[in-house]
Amino acid sequence: MATANGSNDLSSEMEVDAFRRLFPLRFHERHLLESIRPDGRPLGRARETTISLGAVASANGSALAKIGCTTMLAAVKLEVMTPKAESPDEGCIAIDFHMPPICSPLVRPGRPAEAAPVISKQLSDTILSSGMIDLKELSLVSGKAAWMAYLDIYCLDADGALFDAALLSAVAAFSHLQIPVVSLNDDGRIVLISEENSGAMWEKEPVNKEKRKLKLESCTILLDMRAPQELHSGRPFS
Amino acid sequence: MAGKISNTPATYTPSPTSQDKKRSSIFTGSDWVRPDGRGLHQCRPAFLRTGAVNSASGSAYAEFGNAKVIVSVFGPRESKKAMMYSDIGRLNCNVSYTSFATPIRGQASDSKDLSSMLHKALEGAIILESFPKTTVDVFALVLESGGSDLPVVISCASLALADAGIMLYDMVASVSMSCLGKNLVIDPVSEEESYQDGGLMITCMPSRNEVTQMTVTGEWSTPKIHEAMQLCLDACSKLGKIMRSCLKEAVSATQE
Repeated sequence: MATANGSNDLSSEMEVDAFRRLFPLRFHERHLLESIRPDGRPLGRARETTISLGAVASANGSALAKIGCTTMLAAVKLEVMTPKAESPDEGCIAIDFHMPPICSPLVRPGRPAEAAPVISKQLSDTILSSGMIDLKELSLVSGKAAWMAYLDIYCLDADGALFDAALLSAVAAFSHLQIPVVSLNDDGRIVLISEENSGAMWEKEPVNKEKRKLKLESCTILLDMRAPQELHSGRPFS
Repeated sequence: MAGKISNTPATYTPSPTSQDKKRSSIFTGSDWVRPDGRGLHQCRPAFLRTGAVNSASGSAYAEFGNAKVIVSVFGPRESKKAMMYSDIGRLNCNVSYTSFATPIRGQASDSKDLSSMLHKALEGAIILESFPKTTVDVFALVLESGGSDLPVVISCASLALADAGIMLYDMVASVSMSCLGKNLVIDPVSEEESYQDGGLMITCMPSRNEVTQMTVTGEWSTPKIHEAMQLCLDACSKLGKIMRSCLKEAVSATQE
């Protein structure tokens, strides 16, 4: 009896899958008539979201965000640059969104996904125009050296809501960012001060001893167009 | 100190002021002390998990110390139209690095080279006759490079293939070894790899006792090679057992 039921379940499951593939529009319409979605969620609910900080040890700040199965890994790496002449007190942020071939069967190596540059530009615009990060905090020595923050977001699993997950992981990565302590050495280059040497010789005073973390202005993130949620992110760190 | 040319301003990574004292110890002939406190013949603890990526046919995540790799397998799926008919299956491999994988941004190892080495390591273990005319795609992304990346990628890829249900002759396990002066260290970290005189990587199928790939670089004396090969093969068989238990756990977890 059990095996007969088992084979019935399997064949009915296959029929559902086949129906979903052959008539996707009708499949979804049938669900929407009952105000429910194929995975059982009511229309107003978002998928389970998790964020974990510090996923990558080699980056200065990183975060992994998951919305349902969609997984995004964001990491911030800081490098030193010469600030532009018209804004000597400001650093710079470069945002890049990648969809490597592991994330989806539709992406092939050598042929980037269509969505990737679109989301990259959207993210860039959102983060820079929202004023979440004060670029003056990224300055080291006025006119000579400032931080360039490279934010790279990699999509590890693409299952919808890509922009939301990417934005979430980007903000989380910035909140986890720890700016390393550096000083200016005689050649005019910035060098890291390693923790072991703190007792020994410090030729120059560390340039940014106090400001180790970024202050994120509180901003509102609206998630998931189907299920608006407000997420207040960022408390002042010091 | 590394300089880096980018599209807009040129940037560089600030490098630490402390000098490297480790280099001298190799030349004086004293024993190498490993930065993470392992014994010379002790491998890193392995964390392996299948089913990391939901959209792929099979996937695996591996973490060996600081080396973190995700591999997805897609297929068997239709070959590209330009490909000629073939009555055995095809394997397509691609390895790429994230830009934050290495301490200095954008300094990824030659990934085309790694892709072809991954291909050579895996093609001996896959039963290509089981999926004629189609292609199996194996894509690897190195999230963080912690030394000995290619062996981690190969082991992770074979787990992902098993997770995808592709028929294999046996699991493929891979371990590498470094020669530092008179010391042989197994499973080197990036720092050890940068000082090595020679490197040896073995990829084998532990239960069948067959080697699918062996790569030797640098300076080796014959007795050292024998010793290194023996150590690597022992480590591979232990790694093979760990991979099998990981797969068994995954299956029993889904059955519950």
